[in-house]
Amino acid sequence: MSLKYTAYEAMAVAICHELNDRENWFIGLATGDATIQILSRVPIVGMCLAQLTHAPNSFMAVAGWLMNPVVNEIPTTMESEFGTALQFWRCESRATAYLAARGECDVGFGSAAQIDKYGNCNIVCIGNYYRPKIRLIGPINQPGHFSLFKREFIIVDHEKRNFVDKVDFVSGVGYLDGPGAREKAGLPRGGPCLILTDKCIFDFDPEAKLVRLRSIHPGVTLQDVIANTGYTHDWVPDKVSETLPPTDEELRLIREVIDPRAVLIPR
Amino acid sequence: MPELKEKVCPLSEAASLIKDGARIHIGGFSVHNHPMAFVYELIRRGVKDLTLVGHVSSNEVDILVGAGCVKKVEISYVGLEEHGLAPNYRRAVERGQIELEEYSEPVAFERFACSSRGQSFFTTQEMLGTDIPKYNPKIKEMISPYNGQKYNLVPAADPDWVILHAPMGDKYGNVLFFERKQLPEQLDVTAGQSCDKVIVTVEQIISRDRVMGLSHLNILPRFRTTAIVEAPYGAHPSSCIKLYDQDREHMGMYARMSRAPEGFKEYLDKYVYGVKSHMEYLNLIGIETLLKLRVVGGTLA
Repeated sequence: MSLKYTAYEAMAVAICHELNDRENWFIGLATGDATIQILSRVPIVGMCLAQLTHAPNSFMAVAGWLMNPVVNEIPTTMESEFGTALQFWRCESRATAYLAARGECDVGFGSAAQIDKYGNCNIVCIGNYYRPKIRLIGPINQPGHFSLFKREFIIVDHEKRNFVDKVDFVSGVGYLDGPGAREKAGLPRGGPCLILTDKCIFDFDPEAKLVRLRSIHPGVTLQDVIANTGYTHDWVPDKVSETLPPTDEELRLIREVIDPRAVLIPR
Repeated sequence: MPELKEKVCPLSEAASLIKDGARIHIGGFSVHNHPMAFVYELIRRGVKDLTLVGHVSSNEVDILVGAGCVKKVEISYVGLEEHGLAPNYRRAVERGQIELEEYSEPVAFERFACSSRGQSFFTTQEMLGTDIPKYNPKIKEMISPYNGQKYNLVPAADPDWVILHAPMGDKYGNVLFFERKQLPEQLDVTAGQSCDKVIVTVEQIISRDRVMGLSHLNILPRFRTTAIVEAPYGAHPSSCIKLYDQDREHMGMYARMSRAPEGFKEYLDKYVYGVKSHMEYLNLIGIETLLKLRVVGGTLA
């Protein structure tokens, strides 16, 4: 019988399956503990698993500057980008500059309060810019994730309000208003390649550039996903596949090798 | 031989240099290395209409905004990391009480480097396609005459004053940083080189003799500084990297109390208006708390 697993473990494994060897991956600062969980702790497990299984020549930049840290020795819960404890975390290199300007970064991880049907992301404000209903954190490094990195994984808690037809502010450039728009805006490369939630994975139609459902995690129903997704375009394909579940070996690596103290993923 | 000019002064005297309407950069990054003792003194003095030009900000901007000291913020982020959104900043922006000029994070960093090079603007492609230029009229667009590609033009930060918190310095205004610098410390050094008027609070004033033996750490030599102030634990409740950690408990309390204006007022009354000096503030926080935050051996990291 297969081992039981948590949603965070399934998300980490899903991330692992999307990463390739000889790539550079980047995670930066996150705000609020729930976001730190899905945007820092879960991706670290996914990246580490990829390095242990098929991507030994990759680099992960944790907190934007710790390159290939010894993950199972993690000294914090990633509550801050520059805590003193992080300075003692053993790692292979300490990058002092953002891995972005020349396209050195293959994959970034980002989240947003709004993600629209073209994958545009918003972490600036909900409502009118000058008198917003909710003021959020500001763009921080999201623009660069979507313009200078080669591809962006959007990770978000699956709540209906996060998936809108049009974002109130574009801080991360998806496909703007459709095919050709990124090129017209002058963006050198990159863009979102998937949206990972605790329920499913979305990707983008290569022609129409619209969000579409790619797979549903095991144990989640299509009705559940539909009820919690705000998109009004036709985003459900005729045949919906299931996200590849974690294997026993992947779960063993996560629990025994990567995160033996359950610092990154609660058990 | 004529004597060297001493630049060491009390906190209140240094803070009195910042007048209403000044354009200032407050050092530090996120929840680290902010000159909080100086910030509190500005609030006690009731300074008004500041323009805060920065990059990644946290409680230092939030409390100044909440205390009504700020007219405008030039920034990429204001948040409290694990403690969530910045409550006073959020309230003020939602009510249209402060003006914003936003940039992406590396661009906001680069604005200070640009000033340090004595240049007026630089180019970047990373904000293309975003709504940032739409709401920030300072950002212009041009086609590169060299490669035909589209670029944004961004103005230098050009603060009137830079205020930093650093580990140590001497009474003549030399400012020493540790050898290995993390991003927050590097950004502070760049900011210190971006402006003619620099005020620095330090954990400890050390002797000139000691400085002469540590010249490799003297990254902001005294010709760059206007005033230097001794303020041990002067970054609390933010961290001073390598010396003490962020006071997570205090910052969490600040975040909770600030959710409602009444709670924030209570915080200000107790921790800012309720004390006359930085020493009184440290007594209020308490030696036990402060000692727990120390990172013995942090300087080796």
